[in-house]
Amino acid sequence: MAKAFKYGLKGITGYLEPAERELLRSLIDDVISMLQPEERKGQDPLAALIGLDMDVAEPSDRAVKRLLPNVMKDDGAASLEFRQLTERSLRETKIGALRAAALDLDKDEIVLSPDGARHWSMALNDVRLVLAERLDIQDEEDAEHVHLMQDWSQAEDVESYLALVYNFATWLQESLVQAMLQRLDTHR
Amino acid sequence: MTLSVALGPDTQEGTRTGTAESTDFLAAPDIPWNLVIWNDPVNLMSYVSYVFQSYFGYPESKANKLMMEVHKKGRSIVASGSKEQVERHAVAMHGFGLWATVEKASGGSGGNSGKSGGPGQGKGKRG
Repeated sequence: MAKAFKYGLKGITGYLEPAERELLRSLIDDVISMLQPEERKGQDPLAALIGLDMDVAEPSDRAVKRLLPNVMKDDGAASLEFRQLTERSLRETKIGALRAAALDLDKDEIVLSPDGARHWSMALNDVRLVLAERLDIQDEEDAEHVHLMQDWSQAEDVESYLALVYNFATWLQESLVQAMLQRLDTHR
Repeated sequence: MTLSVALGPDTQEGTRTGTAESTDFLAAPDIPWNLVIWNDPVNLMSYVSYVFQSYFGYPESKANKLMMEVHKKGRSIVASGSKEQVERHAVAMHGFGLWATVEKASGGSGGNSGKSGGPGQGKGKRG
């Protein structure tokens, strides 16, 4: 059974069972593959190099759109223009955090630097955002409903399994963020 | 509202980053854009508060107040500035997984005082 993250003399530490690490790794890999920009033929290599992407479109997958939202609420054209300038680097930022977290999964005991903790919190958050879209969590009521699912012996279909995984990721992120807030507090 | 507590660390933040302060002063006469954070049922309240504290350097009390505003009212203006400034913040918020948009400050209807006294990010204060 995993141990909650805590803040102590060694910094922020946590412990995960091999099966839990395997689970997290596959979730992280899924999110990375969703974020990986597709290689297009005839793409201007120089534009790609400086992060411009003139062919970018608003994501059709709801989960990807939640990871890469529009920057303006009611202005699709301006949001798209903004995407051309920023989406590629945002994808890279997210993939970077997810990869960093995946690397830490090689050991049972996880010891996190401040940067490492930030990457982990971002990675867990993105994993939860994707799971939440798959679980169709649209409002607080849906979230409550999913939260009730705590017993692994109840996992009989994909949805209840996803709900349990979501709750595990939520618990882990909450314990991590509490440790990060504690760290922030002692350094103030 | 615990204003004295809220202003202390903000002021210190400003004196540490002298250049940022002077730029903000130059931009102060017209602060036409707001950074809005929207409520969603996934992001943890603790995480949202952590992001406001660590990224904007807001004291805990202010970060929690803005977080509660997002939670209860559905949205909150968490920073104001030039279009470029709030767009930069929006990308950072998207990096953290928060649902952020930018919008032109509406001037009248929102009841925002507009101009912020403190250095660093604008305040979008209500009431």
